[in-house]
Amino acid sequence: MSAGPYNYSYIFKYIIIGDMGVGKSCLLHQFTEKKFMADCPHTIGVEFGTRIIEVSGQKIKLQIWDTAGQERFRAVTRSYYRGAAGALMVYDITRRSTYNHLSSWLTDTRNLTNPSTVIFLIGNKCDLEGQRDVTYEEASKFAEENGLLFVEASAKTGDNVEEAFLETAKKIYQSIQDGRLDLNAAESGVQHKPSQPGRTNLNGDQAGVKDNCAC
Amino acid sequence: MYATKQPSLRINQADLKCKNGCGYYGTANWNGYCSVCYRNAMEIERQNRPRSSQARPESSKNPVSEFTKFEEKKKQQTDKKTKCLKNLTVFRKSSSAADYVKPEKHINRRQVNPDADKLMTEFLCKYGHFEDNLRKDFLKCVHHFTNQLCREINVKPIDELAETAQKFYNLYNSRVNSNPLYQNLTPEVKADLEDFFEKHVMITLYSWLFCPSSTNDEEKDLSIQDRIRKLTWVNAQHLDCCISETSLEVRDLVFTAITDLLGMDSVKAPQEKLQCVVKCCRSVVEVLQQCQGGPVSADEFLPALIFVVLKANPARLKSNILYVTRFCKEARLMQGEGGYYFTNLCCAVSFIENLTAESLNLGEQEFDDYMSGRVTTVSAWDSALVACEGMHQLCEHLTLLKALKEQHVTIQEEKNKLMEDIKELKNHIKSEVASIFERTPLTIKPRKTPLPCQADSKPSTGSLMANVALAMQSADKSKLNLNITPCITATIPEKVLESLNSSVFDECNLESPEDNTNINAVLSKVNYEIDFSDLSTDTSTAEGLTPDKRISPTPSFTADPFSPIGANCCVTQEPLIPLSVPLQMPSGKESERKQNVSVFEDVTDNQEEETLLDKLDRVQDTPVTNLPLPLNPTKTEYTGFSKQGSKIPSIPCNTGDFHSLETSNSKRD
Ligand SMILES: Nc1nc2c(ncn2[C@@H]2O[C@H](COP(=O)(O)OP(=O)(O)OP(=O)(O)O)[C@@H](O)[C@H]2O)c(=O)[nH]1
Ligand SMILES: [Mg+2]
Repeated sequence: MSAGPYNYSYIFKYIIIGDMGVGKSCLLHQFTEKKFMADCPHTIGVEFGTRIIEVSGQKIKLQIWDTAGQERFRAVTRSYYRGAAGALMVYDITRRSTYNHLSSWLTDTRNLTNPSTVIFLIGNKCDLEGQRDVTYEEASKFAEENGLLFVEASAKTGDNVEEAFLETAKKIYQSIQDGRLDLNAAESGVQHKPSQPGRTNLNGDQAGVKDNCAC
Repeated sequence: MYATKQPSLRINQADLKCKNGCGYYGTANWNGYCSVCYRNAMEIERQNRPRSSQARPESSKNPVSEFTKFEEKKKQQTDKKTKCLKNLTVFRKSSSAADYVKPEKHINRRQVNPDADKLMTEFLCKYGHFEDNLRKDFLKCVHHFTNQLCREINVKPIDELAETAQKFYNLYNSRVNSNPLYQNLTPEVKADLEDFFEKHVMITLYSWLFCPSSTNDEEKDLSIQDRIRKLTWVNAQHLDCCISETSLEVRDLVFTAITDLLGMDSVKAPQEKLQCVVKCCRSVVEVLQQCQGGPVSADEFLPALIFVVLKANPARLKSNILYVTRFCKEARLMQGEGGYYFTNLCCAVSFIENLTAESLNLGEQEFDDYMSGRVTTVSAWDSALVACEGMHQLCEHLTLLKALKEQHVTIQEEKNKLMEDIKELKNHIKSEVASIFERTPLTIKPRKTPLPCQADSKPSTGSLMANVALAMQSADKSKLNLNITPCITATIPEKVLESLNSSVFDECNLESPEDNTNINAVLSKVNYEIDFSDLSTDTSTAEGLTPDKRISPTPSFTADPFSPIGANCCVTQEPLIPLSVPLQMPSGKESERKQNVSVFEDVTDNQEEETLLDKLDRVQDTPVTNLPLPLNPTKTEYTGFSKQGSKIPSIPCNTGDFHSLETSNSKRD
C-alpha cells in the first residue's frame, strides 16, 4: 500500500570501522553504487549511505555510517557507535598493522554499542592475494575466538561485499525474531516502520482504538 | 573572469540580510528571507492557492483532526493511568472500519526519546531548586507541546510542524513573561528556561523531526556529500582564501574548526547544533587571524568557511541546516552571532551546490577534468592528512620499537647470564671431573697385583689401548702415534699408556709365553679378578673415563678407514670399525686387510696375542656395530666393557671361538 520512501518496514543502522585506508568507504560505495571508487579521498569524520534490501520478504532500509579511520576523528566517530545494530569491522589483508589494531576497534565497539549489536569482521582487498600479509586462518581464528562473523572481501571486485552486508542484516533480523533485540529499547539501532496495519501488535491495538473513535 | 568570480565569493554584511529589508538575517532555505518574512510570504502564497492543490486532500484531513482530539483526550487519561483500560475495551467493541494511515501515526515514545533520563537529570540539576509549582508548570508545558507535535508529526508537512513549533516557543515565551508563577525570575533565568523548553521538546522528538522520512532531506544529504567528495581537489588558492595549508599551526586550527562542524550531527537540540556552527566559525576566524596576523573582514570569512566545509564534508549537512532552520527559535537565527554565522554557513553550502568553473577561477575544461577525476592532484591538504596519520603511526611504531629494544636488552642480559652459567657449569664439570680423577685415580692399579692390574686396564680402555701399546712397540711406532693419540684424551691415555707400557705388555704380554693357550689362561685369570675382587673400583674408573672417551675418540676413528694414514694403523682401528663401513667401502677394507697382514708379518712373535685381543673385541663388537658411525666407537667401548664384566664366566668358553676366528683369519691371510 505504501510507496516511495515508505517502502520498507525496518531501518537498520550500521557502522563501518577500521584503520585508515583499509577500504571502508570503498566497501560502502561498492555496496550502495556497485562501483569501485579507485581514488577515494580520506573520510573526514563520517559519511553515510543507504540502500534498501530484502530479508525474509521484509524490506529493510540500511543506513550505513562510514567512519574515518584516522585517530584524530575518533572523538567524532565514537558518537556514531551508539545505536548501531550492525558493526562492520574492516582490516586490510595486505597490511598486518590494520589487523593488529582490530582488538582496539573491538574494544571500542563492545564498549559503545549494545550487546545485541552484530559485529562482522571483513578482511578487505582480497583481490591482492600476492601482497597478503594476514592469513585467512589466522583472522578466522580471531573471529571465532571473539564471536564475530568473518569474511574476506574485495571492494574492488565486489567479492563478498554484498554478502557481508546482507548476512549482518539477516543476523539482526533473526535477533528481532528471537526477541533478543528489543525494538523498544533506546539505541537498538533498529526502527520499525510498519507499512501494513496488521503487522504491529501493540501499536495496532491502539490504532484500532483511535479508528473507532473517529467513526 | 576574476571579476565575475568576485560577487559569488565575497559577500557583504548586507548580502546576508533578509530580502525584505527587515534588517534580520535571511538564509537560502528561506529564499533569502528571514524566517518571519518567509513565513508571511508562504502564508500569502498558500491563501492564493486553491486548497485542493495542497499535498493532503480534504477528505483525509477531516477525520484526522477529529482523531487528533481523541488522541489528546486519551493521552491525558494515560497520564492519569485511570480508567484507561475500560475506555479502550468499550471503544474496541464498537469498532468497525480501520484507517490504514493510522498505524504510522503512533509513535513509540520510548524509542523516540532515548535521552529522557538525561534530560530529566539536566532539568533537576538546573532547576531543582525552583519551587514545585514552577517546575510542574514547566514540565506540563513541555508535555503538552510534545504531545501536540507528536500528534501532528505524520499528519502535517514538516513546514507546518515548524510553524507549530515556533508558535509554541512564542506561547511559552509569553507565559514566562506574564504568568505570575515566573515573576520572580530574572530575565536571564527566564531566557534560560525558554531555551531549555525548546531543547527538551526537540530532543524528545528528534528522530521524527530530524531528516523526516516524509521529506527528501536524506537525498539532499547524499547529493551534497557526493558533491563535496568530488570537490576534494579544491584548495585554498582556488577559493582565493589565504589559508596556508602547509603551516602546522594553521592546519591544527583548521582541524579544530572541522571537528567543531562535524560535531553538529552528533548533538540533537537546534541550539546545540547552532552552537557547533558558532564554534566552528570562531575557529575559522582564528585561522584567518593566524594567517594574516590581523583583523578579519567579513569578505575573507566566507571563502575560509567554504574551505572548511569542503574539507569537513559534514555528515547530513543539509538535514542539519534544514532542521535548525525549521526548529530553532526564530529570534536566534535572525540576529546575533549565531544568526550571522548560520547564515554564512547557508551561503557556503549554497555556493558549494552551485559552484562552477567560473566561481573557482578555472577554465571549463580544467574544471571538468578535475570533477570527472581525469586529473587528480595530491593537494597539500590531503598529503598533510596522510602525513598526520603517518606521524601518528610513526609514534606508534616508535613505542613498539622501544618496547622491542627493551625486550632485546633483557634477552641480551639473559643470554649473557646463560653464557656465564654455561661457563660456570663447564668449569664445575671440569673441576668435578678433575676431582674425580684425583679421588679415584688410576692408581687403583698399583694397589692391585700386577695381573689384575693388567686385566683392569684392558677392559677399561678396551682393546684399543692394548693395541696402541702394542703398536708403539712395533716398528711403525711414530706413524701409529700420529694416528691414535688424538683419539684419546689428554689425561687418561698417558696414564693408560704408561701403565700399559709398563705393566701390561712388559710384564704379561711380552714376557708371557707366546702361544694362545697361555694367554687365554692369563685372560681368564684377569677376568675373574675383576669380577670378584675389585668390581666397584672398576666401574668407578670406567665412569670417570667414559665422558672423555665419548667426546674425543670418535672423529679420528671414523676418519681412519678412509684416510691412507688411517689404513696404516688398521691394526688398532679395526675393532672399532662398524660392519657397515666395510660394506660401503669394500676396497678400503681390502687394503686394510692387506695392511693388517703386513703388520702381522712385521711383528710376528708379539702379534699373536695382540690379534687375539683384537678378535676378542671384535666378537664383542659385532652386535653393536650396526649403529651409526659417530656413536659407535664409544658405545662399543663402553658396552664392551660392561658386557665383558657380566660375561666373564663365559670367556673361557669363547677360547674355541678365538681359534676358529684365528683360523679363519689365517685362512684369509
Ligand atoms: N586493490 C584494492 N584496493 C582497494 C580495495 N578497497 C579499497 N582499496 C583502495 O584502498 C584505498 C583506501 O580506500 P578507502 O575506502 O578510502 O579507505 P577508508 O577505510 O575509507 O579510509 P579512511 O576513510 O581514511 O578511514 C583506496 O585508494 C582504494 O582504491 C580493494 O578491495 N582492493
Ligand atoms: Mg573512508
